[in-house]
Amino acid sequence: MGALSYDKTAGNFRRAVTAMRCEDKKFYPDYLFEILIVTIITIEIVFALALLFPPDIGRRINFNATYQPRPEWYFLWLYELVKYFPGKWMFIGTTILPLIVFLLITLAPFLEKTQDTSLRKRWRAVVIASILLVSAVILTIRAI
Amino acid sequence: MGKIFDYLDSRFVLKKPHKSFLERDLPANVNYFYCFGGITFILFLLLLSTGLMLSTYYVPSEKEAYQSIKFIDNKVYFGGVIRAVHKWSANLMVVCIVIHMLRVFVTGSYKKPRELNWVAGSVLLILTLGFGFTGYLLPWDQKAYWATVVGTSMAGTVPLIGKYLLILLRGGFDVNGITLLRFYSFHVLWLPLISLVFLWAHFHMIRQQGISGGL
Repeated sequence: MGALSYDKTAGNFRRAVTAMRCEDKKFYPDYLFEILIVTIITIEIVFALALLFPPDIGRRINFNATYQPRPEWYFLWLYELVKYFPGKWMFIGTTILPLIVFLLITLAPFLEKTQDTSLRKRWRAVVIASILLVSAVILTIRAI
Repeated sequence: MGKIFDYLDSRFVLKKPHKSFLERDLPANVNYFYCFGGITFILFLLLLSTGLMLSTYYVPSEKEAYQSIKFIDNKVYFGGVIRAVHKWSANLMVVCIVIHMLRVFVTGSYKKPRELNWVAGSVLLILTLGFGFTGYLLPWDQKAYWATVVGTSMAGTVPLIGKYLLILLRGGFDVNGITLLRFYSFHVLWLPLISLVFLWAHFHMIRQQGISGGL
């Protein structure tokens, strides 16, 4: 904090400005240092996981027996979703619903009309995002 | 800085063009949730470097793919670790992308003038899922093969273009060596090149617009 002068209103204003300047950090060196720390931690975590839990290679392919495979965990929601639309309705699960989700996510900044960033004023977006997130979690859990 | 750096800098000129980047101010109210975009990029770099190493031993052919993965795991120096790092970085990348997207959504950072940066990011999400889908087949083992049979047959149910999409993905009507080579090509050439374009756009817009002060 810089030197503060205490003539009431002007003093308060000056103090606020000084406090703001103090918090305004530069990319270099303040954040670059933190970025390097985060980089090192990230690499450490990846290597620790890789050494502790290496991926195993599965069995050789058996082309004759149809095998019920499981996709990567981040596709499980789709794998589960498709189960609810058997037969000729399958395209709803494989195309229509994923397309709607993709468009809702991609076009979010254009669909939200307000420029306000407070979550309370963006409650519609918050509701839609929560529904998408909760459905993805529920579908994933059901697929496990 | 040091003599070696000064020698290089007076010829290669590295410091001057990056001065404004290094000395720019950042908003005061950022927190550690703002790190996840950067962490995703670190993971991308890890994937790129381990992927380059894996590609020197991996053989994308029906007969040799499975054997070459076993060779990487058991015979190549650090081969198993490099493959494990590749796999783990890929999984963590999806987690970090989700957290990054939630952060941007909660802080409303995608609002004007940053709408297109969000769109570029959402394309990068799809590309990441494409990397995951194509990479899953490459070990050419039981679960990889049948997961691709199911995954590509889902693409076949897309109205109107389904049949063509299926043939485009499989390189025919069945999943075989042609599919494997195709997925390898997507995984190591097409997707990385397209990703570089969108990563450049993503970072260019961040540099031009600065990061959003958020809440």
